[in-house]
Amino acid sequence: MRVLGESFAVGRFAGQRGIGLDNYRRLFADPHFARAAANNLVYAAGTIVPSLVLALLFALALRETGRLNTVLRTLVVMPLLIPLVAAAALFSFILLPGDGLLDFYLGKLGLPMLNWLGDPDLALGSVVAITVWKNTGYYMLFFLAGLAGVPQDLLDAATIDGAGAWRRFRAVTLPMLGPTFGFVLPIAIVNALTQVDHVVTVTQGGPSDATNLLLYYIYQQAAQNYDAGLASAATVITVAALLSLSLLSFRAIERGTHYES
Amino acid sequence: MKADGRLLGVLAASAGALLWAVPFAWMAVAALRPGVPADIASLTPGGPFGLQNFAEAWQSGSFPLWYLNTVIVCGGILAVQLVTASAAGYAFARLRFTGRELLFALFLLQLLLIPPLLIVPNLATLVSLHLYDTLPGIMAPYFASAFGVFLMRQTFRTIPRDYEEAAMLEGASIPVLIWRVLLPLAAPGLVAFSIVSVTAHWNEFLWPLMAVSSPSHQVLTVGLASFASGAEAGSAWGVVAAGTFMVAGPLLVLFLVFQRRFVASFLFSGIK
Amino acid sequence: MNPITRRAALGGALAIPAAAAMRSVAQAADPTEIDLFFPVPVQGMLANEMKKLIDRFNAENADIKVTAVYAGSYDDTNLKTRAAIKAGRPPAAVLMSANFVREYVINDEADPFDPLIEKDGKTPVAYMDEFWPALKPNAVIDGRVFGIPFQNSTPLLYYNTDAFKDAGLDPDRPPADWAQWLSAAKALTKPGGERWGLMFPGTYDYCGWITSGLTMANGGQYFNHDYGGEVYYNAPSTLGALTFLDTLVNKLKAMPPGVSDANACTSAFFSGRTGMMALSTGSLSFVRDNMKTPYRVAFLPKAVRNAAPIGGGSLILPKGNSPERQAAAWKLVTWLTSPAIAGEWSRFTGYFAPRKAAYDLPEMAQYMQQHPDAKVALDQLAYAVPWFDTFNTVAVRKAMEDQVQAVLSGKTKPADAVAAAQKSADDLLRPYVEQTALKPIG
Repeated sequence: MRVLGESFAVGRFAGQRGIGLDNYRRLFADPHFARAAANNLVYAAGTIVPSLVLALLFALALRETGRLNTVLRTLVVMPLLIPLVAAAALFSFILLPGDGLLDFYLGKLGLPMLNWLGDPDLALGSVVAITVWKNTGYYMLFFLAGLAGVPQDLLDAATIDGAGAWRRFRAVTLPMLGPTFGFVLPIAIVNALTQVDHVVTVTQGGPSDATNLLLYYIYQQAAQNYDAGLASAATVITVAALLSLSLLSFRAIERGTHYES
Repeated sequence: MKADGRLLGVLAASAGALLWAVPFAWMAVAALRPGVPADIASLTPGGPFGLQNFAEAWQSGSFPLWYLNTVIVCGGILAVQLVTASAAGYAFARLRFTGRELLFALFLLQLLLIPPLLIVPNLATLVSLHLYDTLPGIMAPYFASAFGVFLMRQTFRTIPRDYEEAAMLEGASIPVLIWRVLLPLAAPGLVAFSIVSVTAHWNEFLWPLMAVSSPSHQVLTVGLASFASGAEAGSAWGVVAAGTFMVAGPLLVLFLVFQRRFVASFLFSGIK
Repeated sequence: MNPITRRAALGGALAIPAAAAMRSVAQAADPTEIDLFFPVPVQGMLANEMKKLIDRFNAENADIKVTAVYAGSYDDTNLKTRAAIKAGRPPAAVLMSANFVREYVINDEADPFDPLIEKDGKTPVAYMDEFWPALKPNAVIDGRVFGIPFQNSTPLLYYNTDAFKDAGLDPDRPPADWAQWLSAAKALTKPGGERWGLMFPGTYDYCGWITSGLTMANGGQYFNHDYGGEVYYNAPSTLGALTFLDTLVNKLKAMPPGVSDANACTSAFFSGRTGMMALSTGSLSFVRDNMKTPYRVAFLPKAVRNAAPIGGGSLILPKGNSPERQAAAWKLVTWLTSPAIAGEWSRFTGYFAPRKAAYDLPEMAQYMQQHPDAKVALDQLAYAVPWFDTFNTVAVRKAMEDQVQAVLSGKTKPADAVAAAQKSADDLLRPYVEQTALKPIG
């Protein structure tokens, strides 16, 4: 069974090897690839950091079970449940210049109404916002789980020792959350590199390549330009980068944690 | 002083959660307003209200059929995934064998090879397996889920070995061990994974669009797209909103009903 | 047997009857089963309407059973069709974006219609003469007919008559040339984004469409209409078009900077926040249904001449279908593009009917009388020019669009933009050029 599963993984991958080094040379010479790579770095930082921080904050604030908290938690998690294409369509309206939700209310407040998705300087930020909105609730669930696992006695001991809320957090809670981070961070990294439905449906990488991401670049080469060689080369590079990032973060966090076994 | 901090926290969290809900609030309002009113962006319009958008969305497609197909696809995928993920997760968590790290790395690799990348080779594979334009064809690439293996491995690692050792002493074979002892203990992890899997596949668009041609095999997202996309003309936002509700509806309802269980399963799934 | 192979076997068992049903069977009693892939590039009710049309065809033709398969946008349909061809299961007919037809020919993925036309006793030339002339370059490639036009559009100038009066302009005399266009846009503009003079969609595909139109109105060709390996991005006519845009957006500030998509344009037009918009005739019905204040339509203004680029979809025959399937597909194609049906589809959608004879029918004449805006669109056809199609159309198109978007955002000057676009395009076209025009001889 495992072998079959593995052959799914390996077999599909084998079909993608770039042939010879010529594809790689073309790849590195392509300004679109460089732009996609640069964009993806910014996008990754822009989505991972805020969504993890916000997820943790929400989890901390909503950790107690109670009527209000249950409602609030639901609100934050709901974006997880709709298709990304639907979320993208929703946001393409919200970010509509002038008549969209955001500009409509900004206008009422007398603030400038901007072209959120059509201005090359703003577009990537807008795409980041969509992703953060969608994923934060998901990560929050993991943090809630992690927080529940923090032994109350340790916290109480710290309080007795005179530690304030921030100190308690830093010294007790954060380290105990190590495994949770170890789980969520790789997922967030993977998501930053593999979720492109919204780029495909709303911005198509534009304007002027401003929202071109690595996976979107690969999709374009494979599906629109039928350049299988370039697509494969790009895939290999992306996968290698992703793998090393994931393993690095995984190792770094695993060092500071312990398991029952 | 602690109470003040607590109050601030609650207020901040409430503000945050409400901000998060704004898109949904707008979606609900827009879905209930027929036509394309000038202030479509308003969260507090005066009306008129009506259910025409839902009727229009319902008529534009075959929702009962789409619901059925989507349920079959998600259910089928999940059933197989639970089996493969448990087995592989156990192997990675407990058994020692050479190349374990490398194999696990390969599995992580698979996480990245999402179907839109591999449409042409995957379609060719489907045809040779006689699975093109069938529901099992949509399911096939997902049977071995790296995420599932990852999750189950974590879950199994947090279960104390004593349980297994006790069972082994009683002469249990590995399948029995897994089935009788470990799975019940790992149930929360399995539930968490199920939720993620169903949600992900319920909401998938590009692969089902490619793998299936006949209308009798369409799933919800593809159906939704048939009236949500617009290129040369603008979209009727109300209808799009109504359609999105109908697609996400079952998931939302399930979530609201099983909310406590949902969160609890994450709490106890050993992700700590 | 482990679960995976069990599933595969079950799937196989279920699929075999399904696959057999899908395969065309030319038995006497059974109807020929074929599938038609179609996109919905405009607002959604079209999918339903297409299915109703197909139901009618099936009812009228007992020996053929067509399944209409919705395939996403033009791009998705392209992807799906090519994947199906590569997987050995080509659809019998596809409604393809008209400017993708050339690529199918270059890649040898489509069959010509000529043998089927000739079997009906007509010559391909005479047959194609029944369609508007401007449609031919995208449909007749290398002398053979590869696409039969089904739905077509051009851009049109929509303008808000109340806004015109408010700005001191005469609604009966819309701008006829670029100088008048710029001054009208300037007059209509109110500061702070309260009202813009002109808007048009700057998203991929639309942007290139409008740019090609502007270039051709400026006297240019934009691309080689007969050979897919040459584009004229850094020709003076193109530079002039981009300079026009630069003036409009960055100097006169009469158009919002950056990229606006079609929804932004229509929303702005409906709420009076833009005085004019250049939009497809495919949106005629949509605008008519939703614009509450008075408006009119007019030709796109000329610079050196009037030019309106074609858009829309043509029916093609993917390669790899049996003669029975092709014959059945041909019957479907002729029915769909017949004057009566073409006229019906045009009245429903706002696209214009590619078949000239459709406009001779009484229903169409009556419709034209009741809807003068449709008449303007039809009249503009006299100045229609072909749609941009080359080798690797999408990438080459984007080479220019990225630059135009940068000009619209004030990031590049037109001269730099056209030079960069030409260089990108030449690189992309080189593989094709080296195999055709620059092929070593002997």
